[in-house]
Amino acid sequence: MKKKYAMVVDSSVCIDCKACMVSCKVQHSLPRGHWRNWIKEMRPDFSLGKYTYGHFQPGNCMHCENPTCVHACPSGATYKDEETGIVQINEDFCIGCGNCIVACPYFARYRHPVRRVPDKCDYCQDRLAMGLQPACVDTCPTKARVFGDLNDPESEAAFLLRTRDTVKITTSPEDTKPNMYYLASTEPMDWPGEVKYPAAHSTMTGLVNPLFKIAVGLSGLAVAAMLIRQIFSGSESSEQEEKKEEA
Amino acid sequence: MQDGKTPISRRRFLQTSMAAAAVGAGLQSPLVKGLVPRVQAAGSRPDQGEITSHFTACDMCFNRCGMIARKQNGVIKKLDPNPKCLKSRGMICARGNAAVKHIYNPDRLKYPLMRKGKRGEGNWERVSWEEALDYTAEQLMDIAEKHTRCGVMFTPGVDSQARFVQQFADVFGSYNITNHESLCLLSRNRAYLDTFGEVPYPDVLHSRYIIIAGANPLEAFITPDTTDLIEAKKNGCRIVVLDPRFTRTAALAHEWHQIRPGTDMAFFLALCHVIVKGERFCCPDKTFGYDKFVEHVAKYTPEWAEKECGIPARDISRIAHEITEAAPRAMVYPGRRTSDYEDSTQIRRAMAITNVLLDNWDRPGGLLASREVGVRSPFYHIPWYDDNPFDRVEAGKASGLFDDIGSFQLMREAVISGEPYPIRGWFSFKTNFMQTAPDRQKTIRMLDNIDFFVNIDIFMSDTAWFADVVLPGNSFLERKDPVHPLQGSSACACAFIRDPVVEDMFESRPPFWILQELSKRMGFGESFDFTIEEYRKKQVEGLDGALEIMHRDGIYFNPSKVYGIYAGSPLKTLSGVKEIYNQRYERSGDDPMPVYRRPSNPPEGQFRLVVGRTAFFTQSRTNNELLTEFMEENTLHMHPESAERLGLKNNDLVEVASRAGKDRLRLEIDEGIEKRTVYMATGFGSLSPQMSLVYKKGASIAEILEDTHDEITGNAAMHETLVSVRKVS
Repeated sequence: MKKKYAMVVDSSVCIDCKACMVSCKVQHSLPRGHWRNWIKEMRPDFSLGKYTYGHFQPGNCMHCENPTCVHACPSGATYKDEETGIVQINEDFCIGCGNCIVACPYFARYRHPVRRVPDKCDYCQDRLAMGLQPACVDTCPTKARVFGDLNDPESEAAFLLRTRDTVKITTSPEDTKPNMYYLASTEPMDWPGEVKYPAAHSTMTGLVNPLFKIAVGLSGLAVAAMLIRQIFSGSESSEQEEKKEEA
Repeated sequence: MQDGKTPISRRRFLQTSMAAAAVGAGLQSPLVKGLVPRVQAAGSRPDQGEITSHFTACDMCFNRCGMIARKQNGVIKKLDPNPKCLKSRGMICARGNAAVKHIYNPDRLKYPLMRKGKRGEGNWERVSWEEALDYTAEQLMDIAEKHTRCGVMFTPGVDSQARFVQQFADVFGSYNITNHESLCLLSRNRAYLDTFGEVPYPDVLHSRYIIIAGANPLEAFITPDTTDLIEAKKNGCRIVVLDPRFTRTAALAHEWHQIRPGTDMAFFLALCHVIVKGERFCCPDKTFGYDKFVEHVAKYTPEWAEKECGIPARDISRIAHEITEAAPRAMVYPGRRTSDYEDSTQIRRAMAITNVLLDNWDRPGGLLASREVGVRSPFYHIPWYDDNPFDRVEAGKASGLFDDIGSFQLMREAVISGEPYPIRGWFSFKTNFMQTAPDRQKTIRMLDNIDFFVNIDIFMSDTAWFADVVLPGNSFLERKDPVHPLQGSSACACAFIRDPVVEDMFESRPPFWILQELSKRMGFGESFDFTIEEYRKKQVEGLDGALEIMHRDGIYFNPSKVYGIYAGSPLKTLSGVKEIYNQRYERSGDDPMPVYRRPSNPPEGQFRLVVGRTAFFTQSRTNNELLTEFMEENTLHMHPESAERLGLKNNDLVEVASRAGKDRLRLEIDEGIEKRTVYMATGFGSLSPQMSLVYKKGASIAEILEDTHDEITGNAAMHETLVSVRKVS
């Protein structure tokens, strides 16, 4: 049966210890300054006095049902695996254009400064193959992160989803339909950015028959331009992307 | 890659070209998907070589969480939690995960080194093990002859092999042994020992009401308490936090009271005042001095306490009623690092006595007695040396000094003064007083009286940087360790072993081997004439199959009794019952019941400095690129109003000065800190350039904290220092 991997997170128990971030970083040998996952933090309201509280929100690629990054990819390198629901990157087919990075409203992708291809969470598929949980889930001290197959009613993730109220961090106008569920409520909610498609790309997809996409693909000019962009985009351009992500 | 442009490799270029060609050939998304074989779908090329799994236990702090090391091609790639380790509840924190960069760290000590220039100058010469060991043995024996064996002080750190350093010191003949504990938890230990007869383990998981004061367990991890606190909260336990800072623990508590620093005792005495007025406390007959205590706390009303600690009287009364309602499944969390004030033992006594009134001793959700783990300490013969002095060097300097641990600060004082007798040698294993003990300049001055200083560590710590001989120990992942017993609250009584996951790197060697070699050269080789295997067997005598279980599961559990261990038998106190009124204190001239003393108020323009740490740092041991990424240097936290008065802005470089010293770091505006308090994290401002990630980054607490200590135990008092803060350009 097809799987639908998802994460159900109880952010109310996250203590912001960073274990998930280091575990992920080690598992995937991520470069300094870049992450596949994160912990966001709400700004405490100290006017609440003794009831002042903090809330921490673990996250990573939400492996959306409507993956804007996939729509933005001109080469097919980024795709949603129908067997697992994992949004994957086939680096061999990536032309390094960076469209997917800006198309993700969750800033879940970054350009790898050495490999110069986008990188993001893949639910640790190597670990899944070994029968292990994703690195962030396995290590979490308070087990805030629950990972599982929503198509398997026996899974803890499916159980939680069935029995508990959840919220999603959604985007508008384009709803990405994320597969990341937060139990009860979570903060902050207002951090996702806009879905940005490069102008040429959106004109094309918006106006013309999808067949034209093939035409675009065929366009040697475009490919060459992308290729040149990849070859000459060094760390400078990835820094720009970082700034965008922070903003 | 130095010029910021990444050169494109030929292979990469070909791949890219092929990809471009594929696209050029019209292979668009849907079609491409079908053509790509599933295994390669993510485009990753898994490393060749089988991944093997090895049980071990973490050593990035003292908790020793169960770990599984994943090794491939002889290299440790990843460390995962051992799900069978109940103590750590199947987790590894950020530091544990970062242990791969602990073992594979370019800053690691690689060879034995001998100092050539002046101390602290950093002029080292690589020597052979033979030469380093010969020289060390000769120097130690020389001091023993000239100044007796007690003329060498030993400081074993937190480690599974620290027991061998202790044994080495004992057999060598020195009782001047101390460790980091007098910078940490001795005042808590003293307070609870003198109340319950032993140091308790809080049964956080089964508690229904917990007051946390002077502790930050959601950042300063204690397993299983940290995880259990969250689990208990899920199960309805109410959590009340008193802290001058809005810590992560405060952030997740039900209520957080920003207590004025140093006034915790006022809160707890008032709490007791309310509790004893009620009729709920069932068993004054199982305590010593209850009636005297009722009289004693009569004046400590909630209204009085409000003026002292800043927590409203009605809140104190309410909390008192709520917690008695929840008792005995309720507790004041004992905490761990209680090296804060000059009356820390008395502050913790006030908390311990509150626990007495909650009647939670040896019961679910309360404070637990030590469980039987069953691991033995193999016997060794300690020789007698006629010329040795009568007692340890700082004996009698504090009324409640621990005989076996003493106090680093009081010992340092004795080394400087040379009284009552000289200490001229220092043998340090994995301790870093230069970065952790208050008044670093004094520690440096102490070295003037030290003729020989040998340091075993895996890094050139600030302390090692001032040594004469530096010996590279191996890391925990390269070790064969003796059986290590642990208690994890109600979770478990357990034990584990470590076997090498990888071989010793460079010329690093196990501490046990170093001690064996030294003992041979110093004439007591027979005391260390055993193997770790032989030692382990002696340790687990009577525990059938324990070693096999440790090999199989990474951990052994002893299903020993958890609750009701005393079952009516007398406690290990003088009176045999819980001592609210401590008779020994009466004799030594200490207050038999805690008497509140108001902490000094910082004069205008000054602040009380408090110190602590985050969840991703362990004091001074975290020179780790995976962890410094979260915090490249420490900052001085200050309330926005205080900063405004001083004309300081966020990120300003400031100088923090006390009577002991000064250091510089950036200012961080923090709305969550009490207005007359500033805070900084430990572990920065290193003096050793070979702690390259924290070298001269931020400020060192050791440089600024003044040399004050708890009067009863000689434990450091790290929150007594008042500082001035000024902007520097």
